[in-house]
Amino acid sequence: MKGKYTVSLWLAGGLLLLALLSMLTGRSGFMTPGDLTGALQGDSRAAELTRLILVELRLPRTVLACLVGAALGLSGAVLQGLTRNPLADPGLLGVSAGAALGAVIALYTGIGMLFALAVPMLGLLGALAAATLTLSLGSGGGTLVLILAGAAVSGLMLAGTALVLNMAPNPYAAYEITHWMLGSLADRGWDQVWLTAPFILVGAALLLGTGRALDALSLGEQQAASLGVDLSRLRRRVLVGTALAIGAATAVSGTIGFIGLVAPHLVRPLTGHQPARVLWPSAMCGALLLLLADVLTRLLPLDRELNLGVLTGLVGTPFFIALVLRLKRVAP
Amino acid sequence: MKVPLLSLLCLITSVATAAPQRVLSLNLCTDQLLMVLLPPQRIVSITWLSRTEGDPALLKLAQQLPVNHGSPEEVLAARPDLVLAGKYTTASTRALLQQVGIPVLEVDSAADWEGIRRITLQVAAALGAQSKARELLADMDADLAQLAHERPVQPIRVIGWGGSAEDVPGRDTLFNTILESAGGVNLAALDNGARSFDLEQVLLADPQVVMRGAAYSGKPSLRNSVATHPVLREKLGAHMIAYPEAVYGCGVPRASQLARELATTLRSASGP
Repeated sequence: MKGKYTVSLWLAGGLLLLALLSMLTGRSGFMTPGDLTGALQGDSRAAELTRLILVELRLPRTVLACLVGAALGLSGAVLQGLTRNPLADPGLLGVSAGAALGAVIALYTGIGMLFALAVPMLGLLGALAAATLTLSLGSGGGTLVLILAGAAVSGLMLAGTALVLNMAPNPYAAYEITHWMLGSLADRGWDQVWLTAPFILVGAALLLGTGRALDALSLGEQQAASLGVDLSRLRRRVLVGTALAIGAATAVSGTIGFIGLVAPHLVRPLTGHQPARVLWPSAMCGALLLLLADVLTRLLPLDRELNLGVLTGLVGTPFFIALVLRLKRVAP
Repeated sequence: MKVPLLSLLCLITSVATAAPQRVLSLNLCTDQLLMVLLPPQRIVSITWLSRTEGDPALLKLAQQLPVNHGSPEEVLAARPDLVLAGKYTTASTRALLQQVGIPVLEVDSAADWEGIRRITLQVAAALGAQSKARELLADMDADLAQLAHERPVQPIRVIGWGGSAEDVPGRDTLFNTILESAGGVNLAALDNGARSFDLEQVLLADPQVVMRGAAYSGKPSLRNSVATHPVLREKLGAHMIAYPEAVYGCGVPRASQLARELATTLRSASGP
């Protein structure tokens, strides 16, 4: 186990390097750091174009990857702490599917056209509804019951999404949404950053504040209560925090699976298993993983850009299977 | 001399009676062929999509005709003499119709002018509307000749998106045929197959015009979101045009008129 801040420092360093790589990488090729400084100083038309690409396209994309990845990693860590279940993650608990349903309702009923905030706000409401449902259905029943409750709620939310698409007046709706649900950060701009960042930041602040209560909870519910932790308040706080962060993140990026599951597991060997010490590093690890995935989607030489959710799914599923196998070995 | 004349007369009568009187279409593109080749009273129904996403020039007629949603039950209840279907109309519907003896004409999609000529004549022959088809094809040839005459020396550099940046139609599509006949070239297209082409690539390609497919019924759509990106609005706002995507996907003779309209739009949108 490393010192308290060493892991975070390493992760921050990695994140900075990846952010720089993200700024230099496009589907049309690499820029050298020289191009970058040239663009910031020159006043030719080419320099202006490069500046536009850097500031208006790549920078918001990089910021969004960090925000969304951090939201996923952090909420995964908090949900795993709250449920004391290593398989908890916003995707598996149906929260992402709920957020997607909210966003799809906003997009296809025309509410999203009325005011821009409607998409993240409905995403948030969908996430909140799904999280409440899963946690109330699955609380107190152990690992299996919670995962089953998550699967049931995911199924319900997906059915709701299918219903909205079925009723959508736009004949392209199903195609568009299938594509959107694969997750992507391509061609996002500052508008999306300003629209979602406040929700994600408030949600993250709520989640980061749960550390001590989660530490106490790791000893058991009764022990936590005797240590003065108000469990129902903690649960509400996690619900609202996750809904804010995941609802807004999903509304801007589509559904991206497995980051929330994988990030806490990757940092635990370095930070130890105390829930509070996993939170910050998980957020940073989530940001790092999503940024890495986003850079990879731009680097792969394909005619069609690979969607983020496809990439995280391809890498995340084997990890999930490995976790299940390990649980099987450990479980009585 | 009398005998051959009589047999010719019989032949003409039998062709006339053999021509299907009640025709139903199960495909957006065959809807369009049917509406231009036959009088409305011989059309049983067309697809529901034609009421919103079909050819703008035929919208009024489409809204007066009965519509179907492609289900075999609707077809069976209507008992048409002939059903026009696309290549991708469900195999089960086609099999069922053949089973009950309703003839189905499967019409290929056309991606170039020769293909349009071929399928128009094929459908016209089945409907007994050859003279109308020849008329339409003559108009198409006249349009193409006019376009060839007006073609700019340097093709207009265009980025042609389907609905969004995630979907650029390839060079083997009708979209590309229309665009090139209108004097443009799609800088983003591959020889075959669709691809994605993001905003960054668009800016670097420095196009004169960005063409974006749209569902013109104006229903809420995710595809519109990329078109409202501030960078695109700022750099290419005045050079962006939308085209009705569903109409550019139908290989029918009127595509030549779309090409003429596009040629005019491209000329004005490519200016400074």
